[in-house]
Amino acid sequence: MASPYPRRRSRRWFIERWAYQRFVLRELSGVVLAAYMVLLLLLVSSVHAGGQAFADHVTTLRSPLMIAVHVILVLFALLHTVTWFQAVPKGLPLRRGEEKVPPALMIGANYVAMAGATVIIVAALVA
Amino acid sequence: MTSGATTTQTIGFEIARYLPGEDRAPTLRHYDVPYRPEWVVLDALNYLKDEVDGTLSFRWSCRMGVCGSCGAMVNGVPRLMCAAFLRDYLPGPIRVEPLANFPIERDLVIVLDDFMQKLRAVKPWIIPGDRPPPADAEYRQTPAQLADFKQYSMCINCLLCYSACPVYQHEEEFLGPAVLALAQRYDHDSRDRGNSQRHELTWSDEGIWDCTFVGECSAVCPKHVDPAGAIQQAKVESTMDWYRSVLWPFGRR
Repeated sequence: MASPYPRRRSRRWFIERWAYQRFVLRELSGVVLAAYMVLLLLLVSSVHAGGQAFADHVTTLRSPLMIAVHVILVLFALLHTVTWFQAVPKGLPLRRGEEKVPPALMIGANYVAMAGATVIIVAALVA
Repeated sequence: MTSGATTTQTIGFEIARYLPGEDRAPTLRHYDVPYRPEWVVLDALNYLKDEVDGTLSFRWSCRMGVCGSCGAMVNGVPRLMCAAFLRDYLPGPIRVEPLANFPIERDLVIVLDDFMQKLRAVKPWIIPGDRPPPADAEYRQTPAQLADFKQYSMCINCLLCYSACPVYQHEEEFLGPAVLALAQRYDHDSRDRGNSQRHELTWSDEGIWDCTFVGECSAVCPKHVDPAGAIQQAKVESTMDWYRSVLWPFGRR
């Protein structure tokens, strides 16, 4: 009795299509943001330790390596933001009667809320 | 590329062939097909079967994106062959392989058993519960109630979403996109009272919680069902249900 050819699994699936690469980058962005939280905690702890420790920390942050690290961090933070907001209308769609609230409107509202929150936080820090 | 039927222009095809019992593995075979701008990949395959090699095996029926039979990997992407125009793949060659993530019966024909079994398991039909349909009339449903599930009812079981899903590729137990979208379709139908019968399976680890939201199922869906959206919404509903059961132990909804 001839048998079917078994289904194929690929260990390299995540590089075989751009859509999968994008997915892996999106998932990695969460790990990268967690790493940034560690950097942020180190900064807070240097402030807590006093003037000299803080000055040393700032010197470290000015090194080319740390600047390069932060450029990567910003890129991943942007990716995380964009993909997170894109997921909102997928997971929590809104409907008015029969009509769907346009996904672009929901995504836009999130950006507006983020901008508002940023303004409030920056104003509180500056004040 | 304005040529019509009068030209001798051709376009190349690389088609996966597999004859069980004779071939050890599928191999790509090259064919040349006359190029016609109005032809789809399925037309080219039917030309080959009629004129060149009658042993070429593939499933098809309606030729118009309704029956869901002619799914295949076209240049590595799951497509309905009846909706993949040759003119979009110029200059070729066009690679046609059986849908990924399924065992291969022969040539482009895949084994559907796993999907059919999972489809049955989620009871994709209306379960009336203690509210049977009125004896003298049909159920009433408002347009808003219809809009709540209509999108998910457009599924034609073509399995393109299963081919696009890396989770299904690696987790054979995973119910998969189309089945979970169909479960959502009946969960959201105002006539249905079968949610509790489905959730044990659909809200389990083999169900929605296996999904990592790659999202390609929705990208390849020819009927815009958006299974990825359906699954994420079910995750939200399942989470809310869990919180309700914890916070209100005596009166669950």
